[in-house]
Amino acid sequence: MTASRPISAPVPPRRRWGLLLGVGLVAAVIAWLAFGGIGNALVYYLTPTELLARDNPVGQTVRLGGLVKEGSIQRSTSAITFVLTDGTTDVTVVSDTLPTSSFREGSGAVVEGELNGDGSFVAHQVLVKHDENYVAPSQGAVPSHIPDGG
Amino acid sequence: MIPTLGHVAVVVGLAATVFAAAAFVLGGRRDDGALVMLGRRAMYAAFALAAVASAAMVVSLLAHDFSVQYVVRNNATTTPLFYSVISLWAALEGSILFWTLLATGWAALVLWRFRDRLPALMPWVGAVLALATAFFFAVMIWPGDPFVRSTPIAAQGSGPNALLQNHPFMGLHPPLLYLGYTGMAIPFAFGMAALVTRRTDEAWLGVVRRWTLVPWIFLTAGIVAGAWWSYEVLGWGGYWAWDPVENAALLPWLTATAFIHSSMVAERRGTLRVWTHALVIATFVLTLVGTFLTRSGVVQSVHSFTASGIGPWFAGAILVTLGVALGLLVWRLPALGDTRPPGRAVSREGAFLFNNVLFLGVTFAVLFGTLYPVVRQLMNGEQVSLGAPWFNQVNAPIFVALLFLMGVGPALPWGGAGWRTLRDRFAAPVIAGSLLLLLGWLFGLRQLPVLVALWMAAFVVVIMGEEVLRGAAARARARDEARLLATWRLATRNRRRYGGYLVHAGIAVMAVAVAVSASMGSEATATIRPGESMTLGPYTVTSRQLVTEPLASDPRVVETRAELTLAGPQSGPVAPALRDYPNSASLIATPAVRTAAGEDLYITLMGADPATGEVTLRVFINPLVAWIWIGGGIVALGAVFAAWPDRRRSQPATQGSAEPAGVPLGVVGGAER
Repeated sequence: MTASRPISAPVPPRRRWGLLLGVGLVAAVIAWLAFGGIGNALVYYLTPTELLARDNPVGQTVRLGGLVKEGSIQRSTSAITFVLTDGTTDVTVVSDTLPTSSFREGSGAVVEGELNGDGSFVAHQVLVKHDENYVAPSQGAVPSHIPDGG
Repeated sequence: MIPTLGHVAVVVGLAATVFAAAAFVLGGRRDDGALVMLGRRAMYAAFALAAVASAAMVVSLLAHDFSVQYVVRNNATTTPLFYSVISLWAALEGSILFWTLLATGWAALVLWRFRDRLPALMPWVGAVLALATAFFFAVMIWPGDPFVRSTPIAAQGSGPNALLQNHPFMGLHPPLLYLGYTGMAIPFAFGMAALVTRRTDEAWLGVVRRWTLVPWIFLTAGIVAGAWWSYEVLGWGGYWAWDPVENAALLPWLTATAFIHSSMVAERRGTLRVWTHALVIATFVLTLVGTFLTRSGVVQSVHSFTASGIGPWFAGAILVTLGVALGLLVWRLPALGDTRPPGRAVSREGAFLFNNVLFLGVTFAVLFGTLYPVVRQLMNGEQVSLGAPWFNQVNAPIFVALLFLMGVGPALPWGGAGWRTLRDRFAAPVIAGSLLLLLGWLFGLRQLPVLVALWMAAFVVVIMGEEVLRGAAARARARDEARLLATWRLATRNRRRYGGYLVHAGIAVMAVAVAVSASMGSEATATIRPGESMTLGPYTVTSRQLVTEPLASDPRVVETRAELTLAGPQSGPVAPALRDYPNSASLIATPAVRTAAGEDLYITLMGADPATGEVTLRVFINPLVAWIWIGGGIVALGAVFAAWPDRRRSQPATQGSAEPAGVPLGVVGGAER
């Protein structure tokens, strides 16, 4: 196949500067978009011990992972309360937006939310790892990114 | 017996592909057609062997042969037939087997189609495809053997992953995605062959563009079907969560899309040639990266399988591929000199260039967001994640810019445009977009994403509509044809352009649907007893009863179902449920989704109290979601139209230069034949 024939006149080289400038500008904007907001967008994954050891744990959105303590689940019509533990530290989790049925006592769970002033954790999302070989998140397990409303 | 057959097929498959690679390389170097033919036949054999191995696995699954570990982990005697068959791709080892089947299938198809064409290029294309498939056969012999035996033989298996046997869509989106993924090896093989043989002229581009478009169609359909699956199954009311696996599928799609655009510039203008090669390499490497991310346990997501030994293998393959391909590219740089300098910013090629920069921007952002948590953890052990808001914040403006270019590109002439041309071309689309925006505003739309999407969609559609009408009118006049016939002939004589327009129209539809569904939906959560109701917008949901019973199709699964009556614009009985699978730690949501053109009603059962019959429901109104799937269908249709073989291919000299420059379509009547 022959190279296609240019139909318009060749472009003088100096015109490339406009193109380069445009490309550079676009790249800069993308970089700014990506890195500008990253500090606020990061969500830390913590165990109860790590959460309480933070300097200023109240009000920060984090993911909290641990085991649902045996006998700790209390369901009411509008909210669910349970204790998440990593073996050394317990945190009480309260939520009125979580599916009440996706927790089982003794199994692992990861919730996203923030610590309240009164020491309870308000959860907005539960993150479940959907794997046939489910392993409860102990220290070092990473949650799924899929927010699961049910 | 049957599993042994499968294993033997895999081992022989490795031998066949290694042999094929050797035959292709020797045949290519010595210009020996007989050796090349041997290599081709070995690749046909490899496809047959992969088919035998896959059939052996499917038969083992159907026979519930619990002497095979994969069957024990992914099947049970109660598993329904359909889910037994699709369990072939439900977990790590089986998915690699299925992958190999598709990859060898693509390779055999390409080698067969080109058995009499491009004799200088094909041995090297064959060699690359043989090596790539050999890698997958090797993975199935060492770290990811699907036919590992289980001793003692189990009496019962654990059944397929609960989430994967909950919806028939599971039979649809993985094969589509895998077809797209594995097919991207073809452009890579052609790219490598072009570099090896120094035939880096425009000849390979014509072939590669078509053979990128074909897997691109599958990849696109697979991504949309995957989003649909996630919407119908996961129960959180949305369809895209920037999950690492969604990202893994999106990454090669982005670079392949960039390639499809830049290849047109490379072909027409002789510029961007190194760049175009780099995109082909990047696309293939990103398919490997995607597999690595999702199959190695490096990132955790809804799709990630248990950590396995295949991570280092894929990491090695990525590094080797990247090293060899980039090395070859640098080595051949002198042969890839652009024959012309790049054009001006305000020109068709300028629009293509910005398009590529933006696609690469999204690729970079998505790759960064996916890998950042991994790198951060490796560096200081901190576990962090970048949530969907970050991805949206970064990518939304880029996608808006891409939409804008989608309209601008086709309207700009090659080489550059003067002020007058700009005014003529853009006055009507800008006015149309602004009118639609104003109309939306008058009807009470205030959401910025919706207004922007409306403006962009009108802008894009009017530009393309003008082009089609103008071209059809010119043809009708010149040929004295009926307007409709002229339109059809115009389109079929230039499939790439008009197929591309249809793709763009589909994207415009999707953009509006995504913007509207993301910013105009509503939701409510309530706990109600039997006989009580909750309302959301015009809808009333009344609880009738709570039923807990085993599934008829698989009695090991216990379903808790809220039987509800829906009243409003859509009405009738609905029954969202929670399913308790024996092998799942959590209950699996089975949302009830009522789909209509205007809006979906989406109900998830959040919790239930069997004692009182109380159910907690989360109800979403998701406007225009159906149009995302329809838009995806239009995109696929347009791409099929563009990729459809056209009869003029026997006159290759007209391809690529048939498109009149400067004044699009004005001379179409004369440019034919």
